[in-house]
Amino acid sequence: MTRNRSLFALAALVLLALVPAVVTDSYTRHIFIIAFIYGTVAVNWDLSLGLAGLFNFGHLAFFGIGVYTAAILTTALDLSPWLAIPAGGLTAALAALLIALPVARLQGIYVVLVTFAFGQLCMQVVLSQGDLTGGAEGLVRLPYLRIGDYSFIRDFRFGYYYVALGLLTVSVVALLLLARSPFGKSLRAVRDNPDYATARGISVARQRVLVLCASAVFTGIAGGFYAIYLRVASPEVFGFSVATLILSMVLIGGAGSILGPVFAALALTFATEAMAGIRGLEEARFIVVAVAMILVLRIAPAGAIDIFGRLLAPRRKS
Amino acid sequence: MDGVLIPTLVSGLLLGSLYALMASGLSLIWTTLGVFNFAHGALMTLGAYIAWTVSEQLGLGLAAGFVAGIGAAVIAGVLIELLLVRPFYGNRNMMLITVMTTLAASTILERGISMIWGPRLKQLPRTLDGQVNLLGAPVSAHEALIIVLAPAVLLALWWYTGRTLSGRSLRAVGQNRSAAALLGIDVPRTFSLAFGLSAALAGLTGVLLGSIRFVTPGLGADPLVNAMIVVIFGGLGSLGATAGAAYVIGLLEALLVLWLGLYWTPSVLFVALILVLVFRPNGLFGKAA
Repeated sequence: MTRNRSLFALAALVLLALVPAVVTDSYTRHIFIIAFIYGTVAVNWDLSLGLAGLFNFGHLAFFGIGVYTAAILTTALDLSPWLAIPAGGLTAALAALLIALPVARLQGIYVVLVTFAFGQLCMQVVLSQGDLTGGAEGLVRLPYLRIGDYSFIRDFRFGYYYVALGLLTVSVVALLLLARSPFGKSLRAVRDNPDYATARGISVARQRVLVLCASAVFTGIAGGFYAIYLRVASPEVFGFSVATLILSMVLIGGAGSILGPVFAALALTFATEAMAGIRGLEEARFIVVAVAMILVLRIAPAGAIDIFGRLLAPRRKS
Repeated sequence: MDGVLIPTLVSGLLLGSLYALMASGLSLIWTTLGVFNFAHGALMTLGAYIAWTVSEQLGLGLAAGFVAGIGAAVIAGVLIELLLVRPFYGNRNMMLITVMTTLAASTILERGISMIWGPRLKQLPRTLDGQVNLLGAPVSAHEALIIVLAPAVLLALWWYTGRTLSGRSLRAVGQNRSAAALLGIDVPRTFSLAFGLSAALAGLTGVLLGSIRFVTPGLGADPLVNAMIVVIFGGLGSLGATAGAAYVIGLLEALLVLWLGLYWTPSVLFVALILVLVFRPNGLFGKAA
């Protein structure tokens, strides 16, 4: 990453940290919080899909597993949300290990099919184990996040805002460090030239297992936080719609760029929320997102942000 | 056990027939273009809704509904190929990109359907009334028709791709695109043909399924996952392997439902699938890609 871009990212972080001073209504803050959560999921998907080139289409299953881990631990076992949220990261990583076993050896389309089917299977398990998961109705009235007597929902979601921003920041920094490390470089080598990478002693199968588990950790934690924040766990998190939305964040932001999907997540969450407010667009907004995703793939495969880059590039030369 | 075994086998045959119809459509596109069509389930749903509109709302009868449903699916399928697949031919990441574009297409279709027709459940009438005896088990005539129809359609498809000139051009394009073009085969037309045929199969399955289950915007989503399990199991390479795997999965699913109940069946099927893939990464009957 160039110095310019890291300065830009740092400036964006400072701005986002100052937002609550300006934005005091709880609805706008709510959209920011959702955007931070989606952003965390999107960057971690970018790790496996974009950086490692692993055709993982079951990423939302890790998110959903985090959601249900936190929900079940807090309702059935009365565990504190502070423990239940990180537990989501643990179970998601374990699930990733399970799915990585067959995926490590598969090629091409079969990776897509197995990971996709895995996500659908998670939904069916959640729907069928109604005693534990609440079935189609889901689990509701999860406990609030609080320290002592202070509930994080108070002061217009002040506490939740910073927890969500912190989660996104930690996740992005971890991924940036990982991308620059020898491990990150080996992932790109596996993506761009698997035969050469193998010849240089990189085990493709082992990197795949590791990258799937690594991408699941923060995704599961984000899922746990999502459940506690919204105080519900519903099987919709495994559905097509959320997956398409987050996939479009990865693609519009530019697969493999890590920072791109974060900005795309912010922009798209606000755009879809704005559309949800317009009558008649509640369903249509998903169509709009899908069309945008197709257009980006068609016009700017490196992501919408890349368009701006290309517009600026000739000027820099002159 | 004896009393339930035969009905279970019959219901397994029914499931297998439906999966075979769906999965053969997926396999047809895959062998010709190297594209996996994630909108296949949504095409099924579209077929069922159009058939319902024509046959129930307009009152033109089920036969007209069948024609309209299949026709609509074919048009949508050819449009998907034209708009979402064709621009990416020759792209290094074509397989991955088309997974995403067809996934987007399925979202567009599914949401569009729910906007047009609303959330209320609909049901298509059965093609045949009454019951028949199959191996001593009473089955509705409609389901018996599916069990008979599926192998007939598969056989026709096998005959078409193996014995006719235009069917063999599909396989030629799938095996070697440039050589096929040199032989004078119109490659882009063949791609449209593959998508249209596959969509026709999807539409047919949708209309048939629409009188067994309620027609909802998600009608095709569940069977699509099962059809995916079928193609992973059988490998995507050949029609015979896909059809064989469809019947294996259908029967296995019916037996599992009998032994373990409806709830655990999907999980056990999936674990079985993972085990198969750990030892045979190209599917049970598959060859290396």
